[in-house]
Amino acid sequence: MINRPETRDLLAEARQVLLDSLVPELGGERKYEALMIANAMGMAIREQELREAGEPETTDVMLSRFLAGHALTEESGQGEQTLARVLRERTLDGGDRELRTVLRAMTETRLKVNNPGYLK
Amino acid sequence: MSALEDTFATFISRQTGASDATVVSFDKLSGGAIQDNFGLTLDLDGGNRPGRHEFVVRQDAPSGVAESLSRPQEFRVLQAAFGAGVTTPEPLWLCEDTAVTGQVFYVMSRAAGSASPRKLVKSEFTDEQRRALVRRFGAELARLHSVRPPDDSLNFLAKPNPDNPALSRVALYRRYLEEIGEPHPVLEWALNWLEDNAPEPGPTVLCHCDFRTGNYMVSGDRLTAILDWEFAAWSDPCEDLGWLCSRSWRFGADEREVGGIGDKQDLLDGYREVTGISISPAIVNYWEVMALVRWAAIALQQARRHMSGEQRSLELALTGRMVAQMEYDLLNQIQELEDGNDQST
Repeated sequence: MINRPETRDLLAEARQVLLDSLVPELGGERKYEALMIANAMGMAIREQELREAGEPETTDVMLSRFLAGHALTEESGQGEQTLARVLRERTLDGGDRELRTVLRAMTETRLKVNNPGYLK
Repeated sequence: MSALEDTFATFISRQTGASDATVVSFDKLSGGAIQDNFGLTLDLDGGNRPGRHEFVVRQDAPSGVAESLSRPQEFRVLQAAFGAGVTTPEPLWLCEDTAVTGQVFYVMSRAAGSASPRKLVKSEFTDEQRRALVRRFGAELARLHSVRPPDDSLNFLAKPNPDNPALSRVALYRRYLEEIGEPHPVLEWALNWLEDNAPEPGPTVLCHCDFRTGNYMVSGDRLTAILDWEFAAWSDPCEDLGWLCSRSWRFGADEREVGGIGDKQDLLDGYREVTGISISPAIVNYWEVMALVRWAAIALQQARRHMSGEQRSLELALTGRMVAQMEYDLLNQIQELEDGNDQST
């Protein structure tokens, strides 16, 4: 189905109107609320962009490879669940360099959505 | 006059024996997801406090978090801290009769100044003012930490078990993660690191457990009150020092380790001046890692309140999305601590 302009475009435009036209008119608690709305919209836009670029899948594949390489059975598409469980059970060495690379990739993927400015 | 301000004014005039109480101003104060805080200025006629007084009334809000104290408990902690010479609002009267407003509340004196983190971190303090303020934080914590168990008035505070506050915290945050029911591998990994690197415990003392930029008031360059005592607990003194220094509470001024205000060594110097005890910065570093895990666990609890429908809130929802920041800081900070250890050996 063709339904244009695309959702991402609509969201981006709506966010810009909010920031450029409405936020300057607001003060105190209302301004804070409007900025929170803009923040949430920004996350939704970035999440869609990253999904289209296939980035979450890339991180999932990296995690699956890591688990397989450590002879850990992934619970049907639940890589993070499996990793959290084996860490809790202490069956993985926390100093493992590859483990840290995977943890960092997962975290950075989330930060690219939630707050890309936080990445150094 | 609204029903609520009338009720508070009547309560205070009864406590003071005033013949009359005129409300000069009444407003809901910002901040406090767990409590509602109201500013109330009264002109009191007669009684034991005649004249104009500024009060804060603190009562339960609809939401709470797992580890927070009740209002009567918080009032008793505030009394203990005030009695130990800590700069807090003076705790005045507790009302446990819910027939009065529908909630338990207490009244304290109102401190001057601002608690706004952004404003404070952007203040153009001189280096000398920064040093003085941060040393004062150390001295305040030192006075608070002079309160030690057993203390009959604080018998509701659980003692850390198994007598190692750090390992008690690790066990507690693992339980929180279990209850949240979402996988968080970075937090699990950090908890393992905290378990493996737990320092020798310090003495068990009364800790504020939420002393950070945003929870104290400053007027000019002067600390006027330490606020928000609902997380107080018996713990290791370094838990408070680490929380204050955590990266989460620097509000963009990352180079100033103590709440975005000043240097860690000044904090520890201020602490030593009162206690005579030199705290190792390495132990504070450890508790900074603990602070990141704790804040992440609390943020997850807040997000869960939103997602469960218990308290739908955009602010709580966005707090859940902040957890990736704590996880990122954990990965960096643990790596830096390990690199530092490698270089020093």
